[in-house]
Amino acid sequence: MNTLFDKRVVSFFYRFRTSFLISLSIFGPATITAMADNDAAGVATYSLVGAKFGYSILFVLLIITFLLAITQEMGVRIAIVTGKGLGDIIRERFGVKMAVLVFTSLFIANTGTLIANFAAIKITGSLFNLPALVLILLIIIASFLFVVKGNYRTNQNIFLISALFYICYIVSAFKAKPDWGLALTSVVIPRNLTFSRDFVFASIAVLGTTITPWGQFFVQSYVLDKKLTIKNLRFSQVETYFGAFITNFFSFFMIVATAATLFAYKIPLVSGEQAALAIKPFAGELASTLFGFGIFNAGFMGIVVISLTTAYAFSEFFGFEGSLDAPFTKGGLFYGIFLFQLIIPALIVMSPSISLFTIVFFTQSLNGILLPVMFFFLLQTSNNKEIMGKYINKRWYNYFAVIASAVIVVAVIFTIVANLFF
Amino acid sequence: MLYFSELEGKRIYTEDRIEVGALEDIIFVASANPVVSKLVIRTLKKTKLILPFSYVLHIGITIVIKKAYLIGELTENELFIKKNLLDKQIIDIGGNKIVRVNDVSIQEKVTTNLYELYITGVDVGLLGVLRRLGIESLVLRFLRIFNYNLTSDFLPWGDIQPLELSRGKVKLKITDNKLQNIRPEDLADYLEQTNEKNVRKFLNILDKNFSSEVVENLNINYQRDLIQYWEPKKSASVIESIQPDEAVDILLAISKKKRDEILSLVNEKTKKELMHLIGLSRTSIGRFITSEYLTVSPIDTTRKVIDQIKKETREFSFIAAIYVVNTDKQLVGVFNLHDLLLNEWDTPVYKFMVQNLIEIRITTPIEIAIRKILRYRLPALPVVDKDKHILGILTFDHITEYMTKRLDN
Repeated sequence: MNTLFDKRVVSFFYRFRTSFLISLSIFGPATITAMADNDAAGVATYSLVGAKFGYSILFVLLIITFLLAITQEMGVRIAIVTGKGLGDIIRERFGVKMAVLVFTSLFIANTGTLIANFAAIKITGSLFNLPALVLILLIIIASFLFVVKGNYRTNQNIFLISALFYICYIVSAFKAKPDWGLALTSVVIPRNLTFSRDFVFASIAVLGTTITPWGQFFVQSYVLDKKLTIKNLRFSQVETYFGAFITNFFSFFMIVATAATLFAYKIPLVSGEQAALAIKPFAGELASTLFGFGIFNAGFMGIVVISLTTAYAFSEFFGFEGSLDAPFTKGGLFYGIFLFQLIIPALIVMSPSISLFTIVFFTQSLNGILLPVMFFFLLQTSNNKEIMGKYINKRWYNYFAVIASAVIVVAVIFTIVANLFF
Repeated sequence: MLYFSELEGKRIYTEDRIEVGALEDIIFVASANPVVSKLVIRTLKKTKLILPFSYVLHIGITIVIKKAYLIGELTENELFIKKNLLDKQIIDIGGNKIVRVNDVSIQEKVTTNLYELYITGVDVGLLGVLRRLGIESLVLRFLRIFNYNLTSDFLPWGDIQPLELSRGKVKLKITDNKLQNIRPEDLADYLEQTNEKNVRKFLNILDKNFSSEVVENLNINYQRDLIQYWEPKKSASVIESIQPDEAVDILLAISKKKRDEILSLVNEKTKKELMHLIGLSRTSIGRFITSEYLTVSPIDTTRKVIDQIKKETREFSFIAAIYVVNTDKQLVGVFNLHDLLLNEWDTPVYKFMVQNLIEIRITTPIEIAIRKILRYRLPALPVVDKDKHILGILTFDHITEYMTKRLDN
């Protein structure tokens, strides 16, 4: 009796250990994609909305978490079931003309997002009296070496370590001594929601920085590069939800850090990038430095992931081997596109005569236009029985997905129209 | 040579100019011999219609089909160009991603009683993408300003596994490091080589009619090699089923011993006819041929060819056909002045040259040559040596001269 019990315990632990190890081996793509959504431009946005609207904006995070989880899950499922990236699917199912249109837009939009990231690094660098040019050069060299030299595994590990560094926002938030009760309840209960134009804009900005066209491309390609198969589907789906949660978990602390300081003391913030320095008088030296370091880290992750997205997407378009595991000789074009996508925005940021505001606005609009198109592809594909077999969207899930897409599309159209005409 | 992207959307009319619709897709037989078997037409009422290719009369600016056509249906082993091939990922034998199918190249095969289309390969170059977007000539013209010429990259059909295609995969027979895309202008040459290889390979499994057809369409040098290589019995059965003058031409090019051996196995009726033709004349065509002919390169544009005609053919007494030779000076194509005038200034000649050449040898008797000229209604015949180098041409003018003399005697 006793031995049987022992055996059961042992086998339970054994099974638990195996499934835990399997989980670990699958873990990565969805979390990294979600974390990369909190790029430097994202951090800047969270800081800004936190400073402007305080805890009340936290409620928006809850909605965004669900939206992100649903859209990313569709991408992961399509990638695992079909073995194809979003780029492959667009080219094969929607033709070469549509593909060229989407890919050109993606390249331009990614260039814009990268400019925003480089700019965030440049501004934060100068606030801490660091030479911007050297910083950007270092980031380019580091990213290129790490993508060309490393394989998928090393890349993923570096991304995961980078993701860990987001903990510095938790420290910053604690140092800011926020009203935790109010902060936590604000997430689930809408408080002090003011449906002013600015608030709606801020909410949409948060949405736009979290749910992105490049994120949709990246998650699929990255899942494929990891060579996950159908038996990993279940766990990958769980990971996607986890990724969406953890990302917004960190976003929560970013907002709290500025809400507890700048909002509480009614300090106006011109741009999100200045947040690191602005919170210093209230949260102290450590919080401020960590906040700044967080922006570098987020910028690095965002820059690599977005450049990789372009490289993956164009490899899929032309059909050549696009993988981090490919040797340089074979993946030359893949790495070439990566480098090209990395350098162009860096050059633009370095030129003194650019209007960052115009570029960011243009990028956001373009991303906004691309998002509904992406969702059209995602919904079309994930509802196609011929492609997905038994893994097509469940009925209730599909309603949810359609509503989620509709919410995002309406929000995006609203911003663009409002920005253009008011 | 045609591209699918150039055919897609072409309007389709019956011979009495009634519009049927536009070309939507092309159906082909997924085999080593990828013949176009049907067309998918989007009719004016927006319905789809499958038309067997045998009803197609002509493909030009529009597609002309027979008045009384019947509708076909998809049979086993048939695939669609657009649905199953275009834009698909090409993988090598090891499953590595190589490139995508950017366009599909199609060759017309015209003989007196046969009009066929077959797929020659897939375009995997950037030019294919540009062509699909409709900006090919724009980009080419722009690049020409910088004296840069972009040409397509091709994967010949022979490198693709037709069986895997039916399973939804465009898989190559080779590994990716062996991959050597060829230029479209060299395609004709390549196809002949693979044809010969295929014929040898399928030697024993091909049915008699098909093998005769293949032999008839081969370059004359390959014809001779095959007849020499085969068992006399097999040779005899092929000789029986091909055109008598073609047969005589081949027989005269092989040793007398082998010839007699084969002839002894041919049935009485054909043998009599062949013997008659062989006995007709031993006059070699050597003294009838002329060196007044023009050769151009496959990548020359019509503009360049017309310039060349103006410069180099001033002294010529007769010019009807222009011959295309590759970098090794081998004859790979031919086109006439009408073809030249119909095409745009910037079109390279490989796009419209006829790759399926009718040639003769220096040993070919004049009578056989005359029969060939009359049968195929050609203004001239090129005379080639065993390396496919052009030695001279026999023109309709010379034949008229010869026949006038014969009549006078």
